[in-house]
Amino acid sequence: MKYYALMAAAATLTASSFLSISVNAEDAKPQYGGELALTGQLDKTMFPGRNTDAGGMDVYLNACENLVEMTADRTIKPALAKSWSVSDDLKTITFQLNEGIQFHDGTPFNAEAVAFVFNEALAKKFLYVSLLEGLEKVVADGEYQVSFKLTKPSAALIPNLAYRTMCIFSPAAYKATGEEGLGSKIVGTGPFVLSAFSKGEYVLFKRNDKYWQKGKPYLDSIRILFVPEVTTRVAMLESGDVDRAAGIPDFDIPRLSSDDNLKVSTIPSLQQNYVVINNLKKPLDDPRVRQALNYAVDKAGIVKSVFAGTGATLSQAPTLTPGVFGFTDMREPGKNTIFAFDLDKAKDLLKQAGYEDRNGDKVVENAQGEPLSLKLWTRKAGKGEYQIAQLVQNFLEKLGIKIELTVLESATFSAALSLGPQEAKYDLALLAWTIPTADPDEPMMYMTHTKAWKPAGANRMFFSNAETDRLAEQAHAEPDTKKRAEYVRLWMAELLKQAPVIYLPTVNLTEAYRTYVHDAKYLPAGTYDATSAWIDKAAKGQQGISR
Amino acid sequence: MLKLVLARLAFMVAAGFVLLTFLFCLFHAIPGDPARLIAGDSAPEALVQSIRQAYGLDQPLLTQYTTYMGRVLHGDFGLSNFSRQPVLQIVGPRLLNTAKLAGWSMLLAMSVSLLLGSLSAMYWDRPLDRGVTAFSLVGICTPIFVTGILGIYFFGVHLRWLPIGGMSSWKHYVMPVLTLGLAQAAGFTRMVRACMIDALGRDFITTARAKGVPERTIVFKHGLGNALLPIITFFGLGLGHMLGGAAVAESIFNWPGLGRLMVDSILTRDLPLTQGCIFFFAMTFILVNLIVDLLYRWADPRIAND
Repeated sequence: MKYYALMAAAATLTASSFLSISVNAEDAKPQYGGELALTGQLDKTMFPGRNTDAGGMDVYLNACENLVEMTADRTIKPALAKSWSVSDDLKTITFQLNEGIQFHDGTPFNAEAVAFVFNEALAKKFLYVSLLEGLEKVVADGEYQVSFKLTKPSAALIPNLAYRTMCIFSPAAYKATGEEGLGSKIVGTGPFVLSAFSKGEYVLFKRNDKYWQKGKPYLDSIRILFVPEVTTRVAMLESGDVDRAAGIPDFDIPRLSSDDNLKVSTIPSLQQNYVVINNLKKPLDDPRVRQALNYAVDKAGIVKSVFAGTGATLSQAPTLTPGVFGFTDMREPGKNTIFAFDLDKAKDLLKQAGYEDRNGDKVVENAQGEPLSLKLWTRKAGKGEYQIAQLVQNFLEKLGIKIELTVLESATFSAALSLGPQEAKYDLALLAWTIPTADPDEPMMYMTHTKAWKPAGANRMFFSNAETDRLAEQAHAEPDTKKRAEYVRLWMAELLKQAPVIYLPTVNLTEAYRTYVHDAKYLPAGTYDATSAWIDKAAKGQQGISR
Repeated sequence: MLKLVLARLAFMVAAGFVLLTFLFCLFHAIPGDPARLIAGDSAPEALVQSIRQAYGLDQPLLTQYTTYMGRVLHGDFGLSNFSRQPVLQIVGPRLLNTAKLAGWSMLLAMSVSLLLGSLSAMYWDRPLDRGVTAFSLVGICTPIFVTGILGIYFFGVHLRWLPIGGMSSWKHYVMPVLTLGLAQAAGFTRMVRACMIDALGRDFITTARAKGVPERTIVFKHGLGNALLPIITFFGLGLGHMLGGAAVAESIFNWPGLGRLMVDSILTRDLPLTQGCIFFFAMTFILVNLIVDLLYRWADPRIAND
């Protein structure tokens, strides 16, 4: 009871502090000028078609914009496109474009440019091409009207077009300098123009004075410093070398939060950790065994010990995270996560599947007396992946399964997890999946569908279920949002029964910034939008930062 | 002398050739698919295949090898798989940055170690010697990432005297050069001290002392002059060690150097870039050793006469 009272008090406090922040923000008037210094990471090219990492998007989204954009509450709103309509047969989507916009190189933004970018993406197989599934071609109907022609209806296309990697770059610059040229100097219509780039060091964007959204941006420039070392990143923020850093380690959060000059904010990401279960290996082909594995893992324990209690959020539904279209809370009443930890239930399910400890050696055996032993693979990467794998090993051994944990180097791991059903050698493997577009189409059609078995898609579990396949296809084609949401809900309910993977918590994204930075947007895909950001110069001076 | 230089340069070419061949074999022997890494974990096979084709990774290994070597002979190290920029354009400035860091650190390490090592030998087994020995032992035992991070928090975050990352002003050089240079100086000092103790115990030193030569001249001219041979060799080898340490220092201080680039390129299986990095690293190392050999001849004319 006391606990709940405390929680309520905390909630009121949080709500009131949020209120005060929003009041302050409304009171304060944006100031023009100043340079915003950020930390970032650009491992690959900055050409959008060849870099779909959040770090890459963070760089090119300053200069390159999409037809539509997704707001923080995950609704799709117009951006370069003014409006759109869908034909009766659902196979043509027509966009009306905003007029009078120019690319940074002075060439006009028009229907022809849009058609060129997407037709080139299809022809040259840009990395995001799987998100354009069903798109046949794009045709410029007039100067400012462009049609997307589909071979079959797709409800996912418009949300996918908001994915920042599908931004419209200048066809003229592309034709002149190619992917390589745009890879080090991106040219788009965005609020900032790339001014200098030094690989591995920094990229500098200057204000686009001809920006089509009048009055914006407020900043004179944005400097992104590439700082891979996380300790250095945090130190640079604390010393004032940068104004904002992302990817803050959970254990640094309490310290940074206590600094009055810094603000730490945490949002749930679209990335959920999971353990791939090879559904083709016996006895993992039995849904009861897979459910048992799910119940045996203490997810709250993982959040507490690997993520310091705050770095991850318990999952409320299989695969989908809150905010993804069609997401429904699928937790049992009174439980804090799906498949809430219940070792007895797990043991019972294993027993039903024919596995129990028959000789008292704490390892379960089948009727023939063969012990159950599984191989779990992981890598030393991501946010605590290796530690999670160790805990999973521990939990499953308590269930009576022998777990052989193997740590592979990242590139080796990636190659070993990209093999087809015949060659795949893992029983279990720890991974994370991201739903970058906040639309369920990708997880439905591309991560769990039978047609998406590796190597064709991303279904590494080799999971196959007629019901989830059918629901995925129906949701893919359904234009009516209510009906589509219902298909998604049914699909999730079926996944809960099938348990194709072990569902683990969703990783949180943490950023920290100096309190004089206002109105920048940190979006769930992990990207940072500074179009409306501004710097309070007086406050910056008070913090003794003269940069 | 000229003969030696020419022979060494010929050796450099041969070594470069063997090195590139070795790296090529190594990269294809270890698991990991560059096309898969470029496309991302969840990319469909068709996309990965199209990348393989575009980057020539689907060609037979022998064809890939001969094409690459042919290009290298024309001075073209190809394009980085990830950034799609010419390797030379990426490696060139990075090599220069590492050279700046390693050069200043080396200078610091040499000056500090020659001074402290000689003083230590001069005052052998006295408090000064013990103090210097303690400094070197602590220096040898503390990894760069510990001293580096302590430095960052003390001088960068708390005192805000020095900037933390980058290399745009002289202030940026202070912490990385001190961290790397002093770590190296610690090992060097032990070596200089040992060589000096040995040199100062020889008969000609006793003779010099008997003649009434001032102690400073004995130590720094006669002693150091004779102890220099093994020290030069050790400094030469130390530079190799320093280049390794630079990779760590570059990560901590966000120094855009070759070491950091090399580590990143190996992790992402970016073969052309890795080859470029290691090739230029190795060439630098060979070149430095050539210079060491020449210095050796200058320090000991007997070798040149042989």
